[in-house]
Amino acid sequence: MALKLPSFKFLNPSISTIRSPPLLRKFSSSSSSLPVSASGTTLREASPASNSVSLGQLTRPDFPILHQTINNGSKLVYLDNAATSQKPISVLKALQEYYESYNSNVHRGIHYLSAKATEKYELAREKVAAFINAEESREIVFTRNATEAINLVAYSWGFTNLKSGDEVVLTIAEHHSAIVPWQFVAQKTGAVLKFVDLNEDEVADVVQLKEMISSKTKLVVVHHISNTLASSLPIQDIVHWAHAVEAKVLVDACQSVPHMPVDVRDLDADFLVASSHKMCGPTGVGFLYGKSDILSTMPPFLGGGEMISDVFLDHSTYAEPPSRFEAGTPAIGEVIGLGAAIDYLQGIGMQKIHEYEMELANYLYENLSTVNNIRIYGPKPSKGVDRAALCSFNVKNIHPTDIATFLDQQHGVAIRSGHHCAQPLHRYLGINASARASLHFYNTKEDVDYFIHALNDTVNFFDSFK
Amino acid sequence: MYTSTASTISSMKTTISPSPNPIKKETFPPFENTKRLSFSSFKSLKCIHSPPSNPKRLTSCAAFTLSPSLTTKLVPSKLPHLITEFESLSQPIDLVKRLLQYAALLAPLPDSSRVDSNRVMGCTAQVWLEVELDEYGKIMLWADSDSEITRGFCACLVLVLDGTPPEEVLNVTAEDLAALNIGLHGGARSRVNTWHNVLVSMQKRVRILVAERDRKKDFDPFSSLIVSSDGVQAKGRYAEAQIRIKANKFSSY
Repeated sequence: MALKLPSFKFLNPSISTIRSPPLLRKFSSSSSSLPVSASGTTLREASPASNSVSLGQLTRPDFPILHQTINNGSKLVYLDNAATSQKPISVLKALQEYYESYNSNVHRGIHYLSAKATEKYELAREKVAAFINAEESREIVFTRNATEAINLVAYSWGFTNLKSGDEVVLTIAEHHSAIVPWQFVAQKTGAVLKFVDLNEDEVADVVQLKEMISSKTKLVVVHHISNTLASSLPIQDIVHWAHAVEAKVLVDACQSVPHMPVDVRDLDADFLVASSHKMCGPTGVGFLYGKSDILSTMPPFLGGGEMISDVFLDHSTYAEPPSRFEAGTPAIGEVIGLGAAIDYLQGIGMQKIHEYEMELANYLYENLSTVNNIRIYGPKPSKGVDRAALCSFNVKNIHPTDIATFLDQQHGVAIRSGHHCAQPLHRYLGINASARASLHFYNTKEDVDYFIHALNDTVNFFDSFK
Repeated sequence: MYTSTASTISSMKTTISPSPNPIKKETFPPFENTKRLSFSSFKSLKCIHSPPSNPKRLTSCAAFTLSPSLTTKLVPSKLPHLITEFESLSQPIDLVKRLLQYAALLAPLPDSSRVDSNRVMGCTAQVWLEVELDEYGKIMLWADSDSEITRGFCACLVLVLDGTPPEEVLNVTAEDLAALNIGLHGGARSRVNTWHNVLVSMQKRVRILVAERDRKKDFDPFSSLIVSSDGVQAKGRYAEAQIRIKANKFSSY
């Protein structure tokens, strides 16, 4: 292929050689033999030169998309999981099975296919509820994505409950989708948005957040894990502070639900949103968790079929949640696919995924730190400070888009560049853009090694043009 | 490393039919011949960003000049040359290198021009764009980016479109650039496609400039159809488009 630079030596030959597990390996409770240490050990402790097979190596065969060469023969190394995750075969099969054997509209027909589709659709709702430990499945509203879930809360709860002078507390590290809907609400109602800055560790400042919460506060909107900083927030504490002034809390859990156990009863948050496509499920589906007593008081967001009880020409009566918020035909097959994704994740175990990803997170951070002139954003990992398995970074004098372009074209490494839909945060950091490598449980240390080597080559290439 | 050898094939000059406005902008003796490039089809390139009225245009002109070319009527004549050049590069890394070489030739815009009002909206890198009409009604372009690869795209667009009549700029589509075989992530209309974003932004500004010019000419501030004893005449883009579509689906300016 002749596109490697002279300086470039080919990397770890062992990367793509893991073919041992049968392609359709399913994770069930029987996969307890996974060698991943259950103690959340750090990299150095966890890398004995034994025959141990990592969770990444074990699960890769379940993801056909990972086994391909792109751009002139480079092996694909997919490190853009914070943007979207890949889908295991079981999810693909669930989608195919739905469309092949029981595609039909839900909650409508009495015929066999409709009954089956409805049953599977509602079963998926129960799976989501169980996955995040909601009390009951009617606390789960399916939406198109997490963005729509936040908009639902903004338009339904926000317009009903916020008035001039009320305050919504957010952090500057929120994704645009958790900021913009509240700007709409604020503009129309006169409510005020107050933003928490970062502290010296480059984590949203919870001390400031606590001080910002007052009797004027009606809502706190925070991320669980930052998609740029890789930091996490103490949701339980935040909820406690907010509830003390009778404010509600909305948690953007898009970057936590796919990677760690999340228990909404434990967190006690009033609303929590996540998206299917980041947790190995299909695109086109997200969900809102809302405490039932709150959902029951909220007016509909979109009007249409499904969400009504009775329609007259001048008014309608609304169905109970969650139907009230699911106007029109939902993404049935995709919801069922999300259910299959949850089965898959639970087959592995979220705690196991979390521990393995912590190990990867440290490995990524340590190795990335060795690259010349690199600046990694967010907290430095240390005792008591865990980072998620992603790093946003910049290399001095090279635009992140140039880095991402070269990594893709020359090395088949997929990372993200840009502002990751967190412009206020980037502005705060004094940058316009950053590059981001984000991992999931099917990534391996070999992926990280390959990425670091490719990044060094990329930096050398651009430096040679200066 | 990529600047020295001069190669001055002059096919550019031979391509076109005579035009009443043979020369585009000014040539600048101080900058001519200072630095020639070896790129195959673009011979005596001179600083795209020539000149005068505005001091910013003098800033670090990398000193290559388009030969004051005559222009074709529709598709910018320089585009096929650029495509030929890029097609000769089979390895992706060579395409990237070539883009970076072009980037190095593009004079950076001064900070006063790197402002939000000149931004091309897109997601991954910042691009700034300035468009003016010269005294002959030709388009003058300046572009810059904080990404080197994107600067390369900008340089190519400036090279191809600078000094052409507005119609030529408006006629180019991102699909026309597909043959360059680089930078078309996710299809010609993807939001990360720099060609598309910059091109569309250029065209929007060209339309505004043309509209402003025509408005001054006609003293008619309104887009409309003028109904008179001579018939119906279109004023404004939308009205023109309507007329044109009726007259001939494929008609061009």
